[in-house]
Amino acid sequence: MPGHRTKGFCASAAALALCAVLAGCGGSGESAGGGKVVLRYTWWGNPDRAERTEQAVALFEKQHPNVDVSTSFSGYDAYKQKLATQAAGGDAPDVMQLDYRQIDQYASGGVLLDLAKQKSVLRTSEIDRGLLATGRVDDVQYAIPQGRGTETVAYDVQAWKKSGVPLPGKSWTWSRWADTMRALAKKTGKPGATDPGQSEDAFEVWLRGRGKALYTKDGRLGFTARDLTRWWTFTDTLRREGAVSPAEQTTQLDGSVENTPLGRGTSVTDANWDAPASGFVALVPTGVALAPMPSGEDGTPGQYFKPSMFVGVSANTGHPKEAAQLVDFMINDREAAKILGASRGIPVNETIRAEIGPRLKDFDKTIADYQASLEGKLKDPPQAPPSGDNALQSTFQRDYDQVSYARMSPREAAENYVTEAKAELRS
Amino acid sequence: MTSTTVAHKPVRWGRVALHVGCLLALLVMLYPLAWLLATSLKPADEVIASLDLLPSHLEWSNYETALDGVNDVSIWRLLGNSLLIAGGAVLGNVISCSLAAYAFARLRFRFRGPLFAFMIATIMLPHHAVLIPQYIIFNQLGLVNTYWPLILPKFLATEAFFVFLIVQFMRGLPRELEEAARIDGCGPFRSFFQVVLPLTRPALITTAIFTFIWTWNDFFTQLIYLFDPDKFTLTLALRSFVDASSTSAFGPMFALSVIALLPIVLFFLAFQRFLVEGMASSGVKG
Amino acid sequence: MTTTAIPPEARRAPAAAPKRRPKREREGAAWVFLSPWVLGAIVLTLLPMAVSLYLSFTDYDLFNPPKWVGLRNYVQMFTEDPRYWRSVVTTLTYVVIAVPLQLALALVVALALKGMKRGKGFYRSAFYAPSLLGASMSIALVWRAVFNDGGTVDNLLGTGGWVNKPGWALLAVALLTVWQFGAPMVIFLAGLQQIPAELYEAAAVDGAGKWRQFLSVTVPMLSPVLFFNLVLQTIQAFQVFTPAFAVSAGKGGPADSTLVYTMYLYDRGFVASHMGYASAMAWVLLLVIGIVTAVLFRTSRSWVFYASEGDR
Repeated sequence: MPGHRTKGFCASAAALALCAVLAGCGGSGESAGGGKVVLRYTWWGNPDRAERTEQAVALFEKQHPNVDVSTSFSGYDAYKQKLATQAAGGDAPDVMQLDYRQIDQYASGGVLLDLAKQKSVLRTSEIDRGLLATGRVDDVQYAIPQGRGTETVAYDVQAWKKSGVPLPGKSWTWSRWADTMRALAKKTGKPGATDPGQSEDAFEVWLRGRGKALYTKDGRLGFTARDLTRWWTFTDTLRREGAVSPAEQTTQLDGSVENTPLGRGTSVTDANWDAPASGFVALVPTGVALAPMPSGEDGTPGQYFKPSMFVGVSANTGHPKEAAQLVDFMINDREAAKILGASRGIPVNETIRAEIGPRLKDFDKTIADYQASLEGKLKDPPQAPPSGDNALQSTFQRDYDQVSYARMSPREAAENYVTEAKAELRS
Repeated sequence: MTSTTVAHKPVRWGRVALHVGCLLALLVMLYPLAWLLATSLKPADEVIASLDLLPSHLEWSNYETALDGVNDVSIWRLLGNSLLIAGGAVLGNVISCSLAAYAFARLRFRFRGPLFAFMIATIMLPHHAVLIPQYIIFNQLGLVNTYWPLILPKFLATEAFFVFLIVQFMRGLPRELEEAARIDGCGPFRSFFQVVLPLTRPALITTAIFTFIWTWNDFFTQLIYLFDPDKFTLTLALRSFVDASSTSAFGPMFALSVIALLPIVLFFLAFQRFLVEGMASSGVKG
Repeated sequence: MTTTAIPPEARRAPAAAPKRRPKREREGAAWVFLSPWVLGAIVLTLLPMAVSLYLSFTDYDLFNPPKWVGLRNYVQMFTEDPRYWRSVVTTLTYVVIAVPLQLALALVVALALKGMKRGKGFYRSAFYAPSLLGASMSIALVWRAVFNDGGTVDNLLGTGGWVNKPGWALLAVALLTVWQFGAPMVIFLAGLQQIPAELYEAAAVDGAGKWRQFLSVTVPMLSPVLFFNLVLQTIQAFQVFTPAFAVSAGKGGPADSTLVYTMYLYDRGFVASHMGYASAMAWVLLLVIGIVTAVLFRTSRSWVFYASEGDR
């Protein structure tokens, strides 16, 4: 009797195992779309970007009836994790959106395809040279910038006007900026700005204003502990004076505009990238305007036009040509541009930018105008940061936390950071 | 509960005190939930910035946005996908973990000690360390972008937590019951199905409830293995309202998380009743 | 570890069951029951674990093939990484706060509900409700609001915000875990349910009062479940990730005060792309949890009572 049962059990267990094995023979679905070429395309972004992208992709599929594009998206943090896992598993999507900080790592890890090989279907002639170069690693074009953004000081117009402090002009130096923040704090009773000490991006703007850079051309650290000490002493003093947000508020930043002091209504300004700054519109209903980032004391601009995102093609794709066609379509197609608008930042294709510019509405127009006001004034962007930068961005903020919570002096923290950074960049 | 005869009054006062204590504790416990609910009705500029419990006015549009689903994928589709995964996981865990648990708790076989120790050890390794090897295995099997990576492991008793849970319950059962069954000529299979399993019901229900809730909320695994938005779950959709690099929609996210809570509340309410019945109602007397 | 983690029953097995003939047949039956587990353990657990053990001796950036570096990751971890040690201290603090609090609360509530005639289902559901949420993003935002400057806790206690102060943030994280005590509570309740009413009746006949009944019936009969909860909650607390990640928005701040072990591991592995280092961290954690668990198993012999062995 038990023996009988045993057989039944064995059979079902074997069937289960077999299921697993058989399913394995199903192949990885490379081109299962009924003879069609199937491309996987992923990006990060909010539902609005997703909706516009999917409309554009539908148009692409109409123009290329032999191609079937399956799309997927998630929020930025989730996307990074997912893409890293996929890439490590040799399963990166055919076409993927990439961040400035990812390029070096993905390129040197052999994940990305050399796009120069697809020149015939992928035009880059209408993209600014300097901007295009940001997608190059070791002189190979691994990715194409897809949108353009730059940093900005977003401010609460009403609160600023009420304070009686003169509104920001076309440019200001860091010391002018600091004085203004002090004045704002005095008049409004709340900090003028988010403490910029925690932001590697803000530090980069300051550093460039002094003629230096975060990284040298060969991917080493482009500044010394003394530079960083000076920066952190500067912000530390402002924080102690109450001109910028206290540690208790700064620590609550999580990348969303909602959790910035400006978004919570506890400061007058916030330095941010221009595209996400559009989120302030809903949070500060009385109006938000954009001012440029401060420049060096001699007027050297520190901010630059940064590709807000890139698009790259997997080195393992079975269909490099079709993938490149999709990239070309997303960047250069006029109809697509009409659908996409500024959902990935201001377009990089200059013809399209000129054409799209006047049609933009609401805050997209504010951003376009802001960028137009900087046109020709800024220096070329640096090349993509070395892969170690991914780790350093959070280290930067952590080390500054030690300063803002008064657990370390700016010098100690700066020396810590530089030691860590050197170790990170060596490996 | 007890049959000791105690004077009437103190007992009643004790009861009242117990209820008052429980209700007070609940007030504290449920306060954050009230906050969650209230926030789902706040207008955008109050969701984060306001530290008041109540919204200045009720913003129902958060729910409208949330009920629209994500892009082309309707909320019903998302709900169905979530239910499918959670349901499959429950089935898998209850079956496979109780089988393995019975062997560990009651049967003798070679290497039982070391295997048991190994099973416990598998709970100890942080799952981030095995994420990529597991992904590669499922990718090799061609199962990425299907529900198999989310369900199959449950049918293979990989969640040692539940195996261990059921083992502990089975070992709490008096052995005489099975010995009696064995004398009646029951083999291990019959005594498993007819004697042990019914008595372990509280543990099985517990397994079902936890599996359902944990699978439902398991953002990471779903994120890694599912590609097509068609296959997305409510938990994945929740996060798509939040993107640090562009404008987020925290209001609709709160609304959707309230909506996503409803099915697990219902599941819990439906199954928690079975926890009530213990040994007594299983019809077994020691 | 291997010797101590054997269930006590297994250790006694040879003596307890000296001569039962159908031994081979029963052994076969055991493997049938185990077959799904064995398959899963080999393919989905053992294999990935072996890979991660191998990676812990390499320099692996996720994209390029791993390079063998011997013990370098381990040496670096112990001698050159102050943040690693800070995360160890943070995690130990968390374990010491969260585990006893959560278990005590779960046990007290379960005992309170046990004796209740009316409203038991209601209370059980209500106390479980927070645990339905997990540490989702929305609950994290609620937590950050309630424990913020000017938030509810500040207003009631006048302590200021918790989530934004290095000395307090970890407590707010631990409270999130403690608040979700539903799982151990339900397990306690299920365990209490399983205690045969006859035992209480017998004790009452012997003249035992409520307290004596609790000590002589409830405690020993509940001990396997108590042991389970203790072991599992301890293991889970050592691996705490989601509450700390959610409440600190993935940063482990303020000033690294909530950067628990697995969060730092995640940071090293997936943010900094040092998967070899992260794997080494994972194995050290496994070792530490293994030792702690082994100690718990060893002490369990003196206080955990299994009905199935009681009379042998």
